[in-house]
Amino acid sequence: MIKNIFTLNALDFSWILLMIITSANALVAETAEPSLAITAIICCSIAYKGRRIMDYFMELNHANETIQFFMRSYFHVFPALIFLTDLFSEELASLTTI
Amino acid sequence: MTITATDFNLNGSGSVTKEPETLNKIPGNRAIWVGIFAELTEFALFFLVYFIAKAHYPEQFNQGPQQLNTLAGTLNTFALITSSFFVAKALASIRMDDPEQSIKWLWRAVFCGCLYLVIKVWEYHWNVDQGIETNTNKFYTMYYYMTFNHLLHVGWASGSLLWAIHQLKVGRYTKQNHIGLTAIACYWHMVDLAWVIIFPLLYVLR
Repeated sequence: MIKNIFTLNALDFSWILLMIITSANALVAETAEPSLAITAIICCSIAYKGRRIMDYFMELNHANETIQFFMRSYFHVFPALIFLTDLFSEELASLTTI
Repeated sequence: MTITATDFNLNGSGSVTKEPETLNKIPGNRAIWVGIFAELTEFALFFLVYFIAKAHYPEQFNQGPQQLNTLAGTLNTFALITSSFFVAKALASIRMDDPEQSIKWLWRAVFCGCLYLVIKVWEYHWNVDQGIETNTNKFYTMYYYMTFNHLLHVGWASGSLLWAIHQLKVGRYTKQNHIGLTAIACYWHMVDLAWVIIFPLLYVLR
């Protein structure tokens, strides 16, 4: 019963959490100087927000495993790419120069 | 796998214990997921172009986000996350056999969708006043291309929410049969997910 009461609020909790993370992101945008550490934190926040929306709003945590796999992969691959392209920007530029 | 009240709580609603449509199945229908993956592929291509452009024009991509209206981007993120929350609530309501409540949640979601569109149009006007246009530099070209494309998605996804409201009103979506509403909800969440990546790329990261 206690678990049910908690899970009844899980959706509301997810919403509050997402709003807080978004506010923190906005604060970073306004105040923080760019650095790899900031990029890493933002990438983690993207991955976490995506996972939270997919699991609790989209209900993929119980759904078809193939869909789960591709959707979750998307939110692992792109945050990782964001970080890697910051880390290896010069290499990427030389690789993509025609 | 045994489904029990304690280990299966869809949408955070503890009272809904047995919901066959998403448990180990495709939420909504196959067609909507073909659409969702096609849309996500399209956004993935935008992101790849962004990465390459940023590598070639680091100065423009460093200065660009500082000139944009972070408040507008943040408010838009709030609007989309909140609308997703309302859509999830609407789905929970129909599962609890409360179509009236479901309609109310969907209207709130539509309001958030409209709010997003209004903020975005205002932001574009603000940009033009600051001298930020599509051809100002490569960063702003990316910014307009990505955000306008996303705006279009919010527009027609809001239309699909209106369709869902109509279907609920005429009694076509019920506790027993609401796969269409689940499909529309999944599409709406996908639009939100795309913005979860776009917002930090354009407004936060430098």
